Amino acid sequence: MTALVTLERASFSYPGAARPALAEVSLELAPGEVVVVTGPAGAGTSTLLLVASGFAPRVVGGTLTGTRRIAARRCGLVFARPWTQLTGLCSTVRDEVAFGPASLGLPREAVLAAAARALDLLHVGQLADREPTELSGGELQRVVVAAALALAPEVLALDDPAAELDPEAADALYAALPPLAASGTAVLLATPDLQRAARVATRAVEMADGRVVASGAPAEVLSGTEVARLARAAGCPPPYPIDAAALVRRVAP
Amino acid sequence: MIGFVLGRSPLHRAHPYTTLATAAALLLGAFALTRPLEVWLLVAAAVAYAAVGGVLRASARTALLLSLPIWVLLFVLHGLLGAEPRVVLGPVALSAPGLARALVLGGRVTAIVLGFLTALAATSPHRLVEAMTADGAPFGRAFLLASTLTVLPRMRERAAQILEAQQCRGLRLGGSPFARLRALGPLALPLVLGALAEVDEQVLALDARGAGGAARRTALDPPRDSAAQRAWRWALLLLVAAAYAWKFWRLGA
Amino acid sequence: MDVRLAGVRYSYGSAEAVRGVDLVLEAGEQVALLGPNGAGKTTLTRLLVALRRPSAGRVTVGDWEVARRRPDEMARRVGYVFQHADQQLFARSIEEDVAFGPRCLGRRKPPVGEVLEELGLAPLAGLHPYDVPAPTRKLVALAGVLAMEPRVLVLDEPTAGLDHVQRDAAIAALRRRGGDGVTILAVSHDLGFVADAADRTVVMRDGRIVEDRPARELLYDREALRRLGLRPPATVEVGEALGLPGRPVRSVEVVEAMRGIRWRQAPV
Repeated sequence: MTALVTLERASFSYPGAARPALAEVSLELAPGEVVVVTGPAGAGTSTLLLVASGFAPRVVGGTLTGTRRIAARRCGLVFARPWTQLTGLCSTVRDEVAFGPASLGLPREAVLAAAARALDLLHVGQLADREPTELSGGELQRVVVAAALALAPEVLALDDPAAELDPEAADALYAALPPLAASGTAVLLATPDLQRAARVATRAVEMADGRVVASGAPAEVLSGTEVARLARAAGCPPPYPIDAAALVRRVAP
Repeated sequence: MIGFVLGRSPLHRAHPYTTLATAAALLLGAFALTRPLEVWLLVAAAVAYAAVGGVLRASARTALLLSLPIWVLLFVLHGLLGAEPRVVLGPVALSAPGLARALVLGGRVTAIVLGFLTALAATSPHRLVEAMTADGAPFGRAFLLASTLTVLPRMRERAAQILEAQQCRGLRLGGSPFARLRALGPLALPLVLGALAEVDEQVLALDARGAGGAARRTALDPPRDSAAQRAWRWALLLLVAAAYAWKFWRLGA
Repeated sequence: MDVRLAGVRYSYGSAEAVRGVDLVLEAGEQVALLGPNGAGKTTLTRLLVALRRPSAGRVTVGDWEVARRRPDEMARRVGYVFQHADQQLFARSIEEDVAFGPRCLGRRKPPVGEVLEELGLAPLAGLHPYDVPAPTRKLVALAGVLAMEPRVLVLDEPTAGLDHVQRDAAIAALRRRGGDGVTILAVSHDLGFVADAADRTVVMRDGRIVEDRPARELLYDREALRRLGLRPPATVEVGEALGLPGRPVRSVEVVEAMRGIRWRQAPV
């Protein structure tokens, strides 16, 4: 299977920054994966998302060195705050989601069909005629994801998408990711919410100071989940169990 | 009340170009007319414009508030301090030519502000962008124009939140002019910085949805134009041209 | 300092957001305020700092009646950390911004350096607030409020978006203040935070208080959590999965209760 995105020893610095935000990072993204990127604040997780999806340096400026190959035709981007991702110009959810396909100049019927499909994927079809400003945070964020998916991106990068959502809405959002990946999209997810990430990740990458310090199966890499940290503090040897079920399996009889 | 207000008035239902052209005509006309009677006929036209838009009460109130300081200034500058001859009005003796000048300048400001507020209230940013899209305007230009229409209400909301936050940090409002000046920093800076940060995110989000693309956007629901409205817009253009012609002819004669 | 609400009501126009709330927070209590969106939690917190005036009832903080005070006066006693506090930063450096609140209150030698150190922000003290990511800015905002040394702390979703190191630092700082007798009220969906930082949980729905229980009880009450649309925190999940005695809720309690467990070397 060909990788959709390949980074080989890529380094990236924002314009005017003293230190590089990414240093010698290598990463491959294949269709069907849900890759979770974690790390402390400032580790470069957001930057990795922007570089891997091709928005840095093109839109934000800066310098990229090393190798980057993006085979994906199109990449989608979702941020934490729903309201800043709206166009602010659309009076209905349907129009907001249709914005992307409309930008491609597709015929009207194709645009509306793409919007309807995307709304269904996120189970927000019933909100199609509502005004975006009336929606709750959780509903709005799902509309934002639908809007990103309306362009059928092969890669979807999400930066802490549930940060502003209450737990139910956050669960619903995360639950929408595995089926999306199963349909062939590569999902790249940066989040500090490791417990939720552990439920959906097929692979995990840990970063620190702009470098990748660990990469592999979530069970091995996501040592920062609350359960893992409890186990570690209680003397469990690595690799630390990432959820309660795994922890129980590690207890010797 | 500053910003778009939902409504079904003739101005709301008209093509956005018509609504905006009428406001533009009021603005340009205000500078072409030089005599008190003419200017106040224009003010009456602006009032009619606001009435047709169904926003007369709200716009008039805001227009009055905004133009009041200017009226006071004009009154003092031209009315009290103007040249002979003087006319007695109750307890004060006002300069006759000064009063005329104040009426002209004040009337201009009132007509412009009223026209501007009405245009803002009756023009949906969404419909404006759709209209420009249908005409083949690149999205960037349309978005820029539409954004200027929505920026004020968004800023106001933000400013209110920042005001509350800084008060809770002990910032006292009111007090000496010096104290008020010092309060500007904590109030204005976060507004600007936050707005810039939001713009960064919004630019990325829109770019990801194809906003910067080369293809010609599909207008999903372009506002309907009519021969009558086109005729009206041409008529306005001719009227404004005639007003300026008359102004320069009078100056020359 | 205690906080008392008696028969408090508040309406936005025709909608009643707070419908007759009676609540007493004794000095030094650490209370988590839970409930679905729209339950009136944020409105309630606004009433404590004079950002809103109740339409009925009384709100007092210590011997001050809040309705008679301005928000900047309340800042002397109550530190309020907004959910989007990261948006209130403006100074040229993080250190300067943290010093802003104390300066407004006329404090001569505020513990700016100590608070920055406590929250792990000392290495960033000289940076411009917008040169650090938004979650870090949230932590800076918390630092700014802690540096004002309030006797009451009101926090709206203090851990949203924070990574676990930042979260632990915030929780430790709050526990320390609680130990010093500071009264804390935190609106939060983060039950891990509630487990480690709160002693008491108050649940609001439709403008009323519907539950008021020790945190230990609520967090082990699956049914109550389900009604709130919440999952139990990791500590409770582990406690239940392992059948740990004593219903431990805090991380330290759970770790202590797991002492003596023998572990398999590799995952099965």
